[in-house]
Order: sequence, then structure tokens, then C-alpha cells
Amino acid sequence: MLYSTFSHSTHDATKEPMFFGRNVNVARYDRQRYPIFEKLIEKQLSFFWRPEEVDLSTDRKDFMAMPEHEQHIFLSNLKYQTLLDSVQGRSPNVAFLPVVSLPELETWFETWAFSETIHSRSYTHIIRNIITEPSEVFDEIVTNPEIIKRADAVTRLYDEFIELATVYMIHGAGEHTVDGRQLDVSMRNLKRKLYLTLVSVNVLEAIRFYVSFACSFAFAERAVMEGNAKIIKLIARDEALHLTGTQHMINILASGQDDPEFREIAKECEPEVYKLFEEAAQQEKDWADYLFSEGSMIGLNAKILGDYVEYITNVRMKALGLNEIFESRQNPLPWMNSWLVSDNVQVAPQEAEISSYLVGQIDNEVDEGDFDGFDL
Amino acid sequence: MTMKDAMSGIPRIKINNHETFYYQYEFSLLDAMEAQRIAAPYSCRGGYCGCCKARLLDGEVEYVQDSLVDLADDEILTCCCIPKTHIEVELPQE
Repeated sequence: MLYSTFSHSTHDATKEPMFFGRNVNVARYDRQRYPIFEKLIEKQLSFFWRPEEVDLSTDRKDFMAMPEHEQHIFLSNLKYQTLLDSVQGRSPNVAFLPVVSLPELETWFETWAFSETIHSRSYTHIIRNIITEPSEVFDEIVTNPEIIKRADAVTRLYDEFIELATVYMIHGAGEHTVDGRQLDVSMRNLKRKLYLTLVSVNVLEAIRFYVSFACSFAFAERAVMEGNAKIIKLIARDEALHLTGTQHMINILASGQDDPEFREIAKECEPEVYKLFEEAAQQEKDWADYLFSEGSMIGLNAKILGDYVEYITNVRMKALGLNEIFESRQNPLPWMNSWLVSDNVQVAPQEAEISSYLVGQIDNEVDEGDFDGFDL
Repeated sequence: MTMKDAMSGIPRIKINNHETFYYQYEFSLLDAMEAQRIAAPYSCRGGYCGCCKARLLDGEVEYVQDSLVDLADDEILTCCCIPKTHIEVELPQE
């Protein structure tokens, strides 16, 4: 077994590569190879929130009053996001912790995955509040063909990498036969899979979430499901931070400054990287078609959402130094920005609707008894 | 550029393909551009999404909040900095 939870090695972690060096032993942050990961941790901690802080009683009424096809859009997105965060709440830990070699990066993975568990808990909070029988929604996640189709694409690389990394932990690098299957567990192949897995995680957080973000915010632009939008705004803020994290890892690896072999691997994997982005963009556009198959909603339709997927895909690819794969265009949903903007700058909390300031401060429950004191 | 050129009073901001204007002590370069009605790209305004990335062609900036995005040597996030000297900035082409 190659993994050790606390080796007595006296090595200097700042001389290790991000992955496949020596295991982290002392969780120390006084010396860091990449201080950016600690900045991400600090930012993530400053973002801390709890779903229960957001009152959803008005959302329940809004949901009941929605036409059926809008309920379909709303619930389908919630199911898909539940799936994505179920994956993200555990997989970064399972996949990357055994092979990470820098303390600041190890802690970033844990901080990152922890924040995803808050997202998962918030979906239960939302569903419990708007629906009498939450099981109806949750049970469908593993049976709905439209969701399963994408679930497989989301998790394929994670699973492939976890399999290789597990065999590597037990038997070391080399060719191994497991359950009658020949596995290429060479260091080269491990690194290739790791690189592609990071790209697929980046695609997950940078593109896949955004169709449902757009729908949630579009509802709230019409002043319906506003509590939900407040939660989704907090989730979107976290996700934007996470995707910066994977962009950093991918760019550091591809530059070769961390481990020269990764520069070659990044080049070699480029066609596959393009394919991952193309596949995700296509699946998200198909998902938009499915969402609106029973009817559109005010302010959004499958065409505009498809354009938005193309726009956001281009933005994300540029951040990794890749070429745009779609015709370049202006943001087709400019109003999204007011929902994606972070609240942590500039204005005093009382001057603006700041989610971190106002959550839990408003009780949306209005009862007839509340008017007892009024005389007309 | 001589030292005198670099720092004489209020920083001047030149944005490529837009006008040149004086910095009015807005919170960030992004806010300064918006005050001039320049449609500068942005999303999170918190230094982590990278949408407001621009190239600093000349001059120096000072950071007012942490930039968490991977940047090349000549790149800045307009939501995170203010001009320290006269500056020249290139916004990405839409």
C-alpha cells in the first residue's frame, strides 16, 4: 500500500509536485508552494452560509401557483443540481486526496467538497419546503433517463481515475490485471487520467450548472421562487470560486512548472479536452430542449439558453488558453450578471440587498392575525 | 517613462478603443470605467470569475482586493485594482 496517513518523512512539501509526490504528512501552511490555494480556502470560508437561513414559505405558494410545465422546469433543474452536487460532495476527496502532495492543495480539496455538501443540504431544504412528498423528487434522480444520460458523462472520468489510482495505491505503477481486466497503471496513464478528470470537473462546475442557474434566476426576475433564487445565488458564488480552483490546477499542470511531464500530457490530451467541452455543451443544449419540451417560460426558451451555453463554454475555454469552439457573441443573458455578482465588496450591508446580511432577517410568513392591530 | 510622467497628480486611464479619462477614486478600475459608461466585461466583481480580465499595457495598478484568478504577467482583473500611475489598458474584444 503506497498511501500513508502520516509518514515520518522530513521532506519539504514545497519541493513536491501537486500530485503523485510524497503524501502530505504535517498539515502546515507556513510554507506554501502555491499560496493561491490558501487564498481560495479563505475566500470559501468567508462565503460560509446555511440553507436554513433562507426563508422559503413564499416559494411554496409560488410553486403551487405555477403552471405544470414550469413546475417541470423547476423540479428537473433541482434534480439535476442534486445529482451534480452529490458527485461533487464526495468525488474530489475520493479521487484526489490519496494522490495530492501539497498541504494547501489537500485542504482546498476538503474545503471545496465540504461546501458542496452544503449545496446538497440546501436542495433538501428547498424540496421539503415546496413539496409534500420529497421522495417523489429524489427517487426520480436515478431513474430519469435524461438525468442518467448526463450523470454517466459527469462521472465517467472520476470513476476511471479512481479505479486506476486505487490499483496504483495497492500494487504500484505498472500493468496489472484486476478481475480479468488488463489495466494500464503506468505513471503516464495515471497522470493523463488525472489531467482529464480535472478538465471534466472544470466542465461540470463551469458549464453544466449554468442552465439551471439561468432558470432559477429567470423565475426570480419575475418575482417568483425568490427564496430559491437566493439560495442558488449563494451556490453560484461558490461554484464560480471552485471553477477558478480547477482552472488554476489545469493551467499550472499544463505550463509544466509543476511537473514537466504534464506539459506533454496536456498537449497530447488537447483533442480529448476539446471533446469534453463539446460533449458537455451539446448535452446542456439537449437538456434545455428537454426542460422546455412541455412549454417555455417567460424570458427564457431553449434557443436563448442554447446560445448562453455556447457563450459560457467559450468563456471557460478561453480561461484555459483554448480556442473558442462556438461563434463568439455577447452574453445573451446580460441580466444574469446581477445574480452572479459577489456581494462582498464596496457597499455597506444596509445600503443594498446583500444576501449575506439579509438572510434570516426576514420572515415572509404573513398571517391574518398580523393585521389585528390595524383599524380602518 | 520618467518618474514625473508616471505620477503627476490624478492617474489618467487610457482604455484602448475608448476614451481617456481621469480616475475619480472609484472603488475599482471596473467601477471607474463604468462611471465613464464603458461597457467593460464583468461577472462576480469579487476577483474569482476572471470575466473582467484585461491587459495592462502601461503604468502600474494597486490591488484593492485579492485576485484569485490565474493571470499572465501583463494581465489584471479590473474589479480588483485601481490605477497607481497613469495607465493604459486593453479590454478583450467582444
